[in-house]
Amino acid sequence: MAQSSITLLSDLTPPSLERAWLTAPHPTLPIVATCSSDKTVRIYSLTNFKLLSTITGGHKRSVRTAAWKPHVQGESVLATGSFDATVGVWRRWDSYGRAEGGSVAWDSHANADTEVDVGAGANGSSRAAAARTGADEEDDDEEWRFAVLLDGHDSEVKSVSWSASGMLLATCARDKSIWIWEDLDDGDNNFETVAVMQEHGGDVKCVAWHPAEECLASGAYDDTIRIWREDLDDWGQVACLKGHCGTVWFLDWESVENVPSSSTNTNTTGEMDEEKRPELVKQWREHHAMSGPRLISCSDDRTVRVWRRLPKEGHAFGANASATTGIPSIIRPTGSDESWVEDAVLPHAHELTIYAVAWSRRTGLVASAGADGRIVVYEERLVPDSKETTKSTSTNDDTADTMDTEITPQKSAPPLQTQWTILAVMDGAHGIYEINHVAWAKRADRGSAEGREAAEEVLVTTADDGSVKVWTFQR
Amino acid sequence: MAEVQNSNPTILSAADLPTRSRSTEKKQGDHKLGIFAAVPQPADFFSSDSEGDEDLLEEPIDEQEIFDLIKNISDPEHPLSLGELAVVSLPDIFIKPTLPAVPNSPLQTVTVLITPTITHCSLATVIGLGVRVRLEQSLPPRFRVDVRIKEGTHSTGDEVNKQLGDKERVAAALENGALMQVIAKMMETCQ
Repeated sequence: MAQSSITLLSDLTPPSLERAWLTAPHPTLPIVATCSSDKTVRIYSLTNFKLLSTITGGHKRSVRTAAWKPHVQGESVLATGSFDATVGVWRRWDSYGRAEGGSVAWDSHANADTEVDVGAGANGSSRAAAARTGADEEDDDEEWRFAVLLDGHDSEVKSVSWSASGMLLATCARDKSIWIWEDLDDGDNNFETVAVMQEHGGDVKCVAWHPAEECLASGAYDDTIRIWREDLDDWGQVACLKGHCGTVWFLDWESVENVPSSSTNTNTTGEMDEEKRPELVKQWREHHAMSGPRLISCSDDRTVRVWRRLPKEGHAFGANASATTGIPSIIRPTGSDESWVEDAVLPHAHELTIYAVAWSRRTGLVASAGADGRIVVYEERLVPDSKETTKSTSTNDDTADTMDTEITPQKSAPPLQTQWTILAVMDGAHGIYEINHVAWAKRADRGSAEGREAAEEVLVTTADDGSVKVWTFQR
Repeated sequence: MAEVQNSNPTILSAADLPTRSRSTEKKQGDHKLGIFAAVPQPADFFSSDSEGDEDLLEEPIDEQEIFDLIKNISDPEHPLSLGELAVVSLPDIFIKPTLPAVPNSPLQTVTVLITPTITHCSLATVIGLGVRVRLEQSLPPRFRVDVRIKEGTHSTGDEVNKQLGDKERVAAALENGALMQVIAKMMETCQ
């Protein structure tokens, strides 16, 4: 734990003077959107950590949540959810980069604004972002165009999420419902209600789409996590994950390609045979390909849990399956039902409610934050299957912070173990204030010419006093 | 609120409520009553009592001060205060470090256990919310406010506790005009 550290890079300034709930990093541009109780959304630059613009006038109460639509070229599209029970969709032509003269473009998407593609018949097609100049800076506030207000929820909207393709938007609220909307992309900002799901027994606190498939996860005040898929034209629940004994506040998915660390550069996993490593990674990939990306959740019960789907082929559902679904094991899931099991409980690190958890799509590291004002970074490691190796860790001080988990083999392969370890803890990250959200984002304050740093990530945390801080994580 | 749920509550005289001048004697007396069954770690409570002066940066806030902040809140259905109705009482207020394992942490948790006048009082949530709002608005932000129904005194205590502990619901309630009117009315009697 000692060799890794979380270091403050910068505050985002000026901050909101009221509680900030969440900060959503843009999928391609070095900007973030911060939702505030002052009914606005602030757009900050991750290049110079300054406020770029403020979205106002759309919501009548706190803005609780926001999400950027992926795969939009030349334009940024933001969905916002508010305590006023509505969801807003906002649009703005991408011009932040040139206007500031910064090296903003960090991948081909950001440079693609000459080929404006906002859907057939978009009346804005002629107004290519490339035509913009720095002189437009003054109009920044006007440049966020209010596109549409999605009305349907009966009470506070708590979370919004775009599907991987950007076609579907999921929203959830205190009214216990989840709505799925399809963005018709018809140039008129029309959205169609695809489904309304009301199985949850309490406020739905968060929704999160699978990183590749049209599969939705939700967490709620009823302490459960539910998985939803479309089966012939109907959206329905395919699994109900029980394990938390408190409100589930946040969910995140593992990336499709994630492989736990197999580095030997640690003193907790002991010696790992150099030749064994590629074999372990290969085994891991095989298992992982069958069950798909895992889901991570955090809760009022002060735990962070990892959930894994059992591959459909293997019908060897044991007691685990029935414990998770509540269905006696003799009744096998039929049709679209899925069996999910608790894969791991991360080492205990928080003393109060954990409000957010983020699973890095780039590095596989997990970060959590909560009411105790603490940021914690965890790493998952592959461990050789010999029992001696696991035992040997008990001589280390870190033992209390680690948790062994076993990946049940579907065939006759030997059990593959991973171990979650706390890499770093930052106490009082926002002084005395509670942290409401944590997210990983690509670092952008140094020139992209520094290829060496290309993959470096920062943590972005959002707190009750309105402050948003950017942190580097050093191993 | 159209119908009074408890038309004949037990009332304490305001003059008998604990005050600063006699708090020492009163509190020690109360400790012996053994009513701490509902408190997870009474040890923490006692130690914080004696070591409370460690915080040199500001005048320490003690249980009596918390009690003074909330005792005058009006009951939503009686023209009486929560102190007079014994809905809140000094022995049911606890202050302890939020992160005992972090020695320098200034965070402290204030726990207030509420005793509804009757076990099925549907106003328990509103009373709890009033106490929570009053404390959050009066105390420095380093305090974590934990308002709960005293164990065994309410038929749906767990449900009420879960709502009172949900930061997002409390925040949303603060933006609810109708509810805030009720809360504001309860606060009118606070100085």
